[in-house]
Amino acid sequence: MPPRLRFRLPSSQVGGGRAPYVCIQCRHASLASTITPAPTIHPTIAHYPPNQPPSHKPPEYRKSQLHRQYQSLLRSSPLILIFQHNNLKATEWTGIRRELSNALRKVDVELAKDGKEIIQTGILASALKVVEFWEPKYEADGQAAHPASPATDTSTAVQDARPDDAAEPIYTHGLSRLAWSTASRNAKTTRPPGSDLTPLLSGPLALLTFPTTSPQHLAAALSILAPTKEFPAPKRKVNAAYHEKAVQDGIAKLMLLGARVEGRVMDMAGTRWVGGIKGGMEGLRAQLVGMLSGVGAQVTTILEAAGRTLWVTVEGRRGMLEDEEKAKDKSGEQKVE
Amino acid sequence: MLTKYLTGVTTAFSPFNARSGKTVRNFLALLPPNARSTMAIDVKMFGQSDAQKPATLSLKFKDGKELQLDLEKMKIKDIQVEVDRHSRILRRKDELSG
Repeated sequence: MPPRLRFRLPSSQVGGGRAPYVCIQCRHASLASTITPAPTIHPTIAHYPPNQPPSHKPPEYRKSQLHRQYQSLLRSSPLILIFQHNNLKATEWTGIRRELSNALRKVDVELAKDGKEIIQTGILASALKVVEFWEPKYEADGQAAHPASPATDTSTAVQDARPDDAAEPIYTHGLSRLAWSTASRNAKTTRPPGSDLTPLLSGPLALLTFPTTSPQHLAAALSILAPTKEFPAPKRKVNAAYHEKAVQDGIAKLMLLGARVEGRVMDMAGTRWVGGIKGGMEGLRAQLVGMLSGVGAQVTTILEAAGRTLWVTVEGRRGMLEDEEKAKDKSGEQKVE
Repeated sequence: MLTKYLTGVTTAFSPFNARSGKTVRNFLALLPPNARSTMAIDVKMFGQSDAQKPATLSLKFKDGKELQLDLEKMKIKDIQVEVDRHSRILRRKDELSG
């Protein structure tokens, strides 16, 4: 039996000339870890271009675009009439549109840029909520500080915006998540009574929008679309096309529900009152000026009156004295003779 | 909704009433485009201040039956059911006679 000798090599010999075994992948990893880590995406790079901010709802849907369109419509037109249309035919619509544009053109050429539009009621209601209860402060926030816009200086400190941070407050457009959440929260808490358009917003609706609040145009439109005693429809002799059957049938099926005048809700009577303001805005201003100048004239006459009465009494007294003197002179002459 | 056997619709409502106003407006929207040539439609609308005034909707059928609908309780579906129920009777009579 051979002797069992434990033959121990010196440790230096084991590791000898070779480097200790390291797997290649690990070596790469260790090498990578020694280098300074590659910078993650730099905070000043925005993930959204300035013309495509993140939207609360998918922006490619028609609903989202309609929502945006209605917001701009509601913000840009101070005078909106709301009609319900009950199964109008296409020929009736064209007839009504033609008559309306003719009537408005008669009032004024420049201002006749109104729009008549059939709307998606539910989306309008939502857009109205956003418009009424969400007031983005575009000026205060400084829209210029958008990281991706070329107008921004490179030295400007900008907030970081990540794809998962679509609720970042730098996105304050009407479709943003911030607008949606703020509007729906405010609509629940602060809805002033009486200033509510929501009961009107159901069923088939059409809007007639004006770019300015002009009572003359409103009166012209009302006389065509919803004729009453105050706003009589054009006579058959004046406008024969208005009395065609298609137009008359269509107008019978249009119902004026109300109006939104400079953010305030008006019913039918209120709308007719606005339309009945004589001479429009200029007329109102002229009335106000007339009233104020009338007051001024009264004040001056009252102030003058004291001086005038004094002058009248003094004059009267002088006349009396002169008469007396004349009488004395006459009597003296008579005595001399 | 069968509107063939209706000859008259008389209604008074306020569009600012969230319940009855909506019901009546929905009903008017269900009438066909040529409704005004086949039936007498009389619509009276109240303003915003009279929103709580009770709304009325009365219908007249070809056989002379008059129907008063209670808009406080009924919604548009219930009205449709009521109108259809009587219209079907009239249609049956029509079919049997003609």
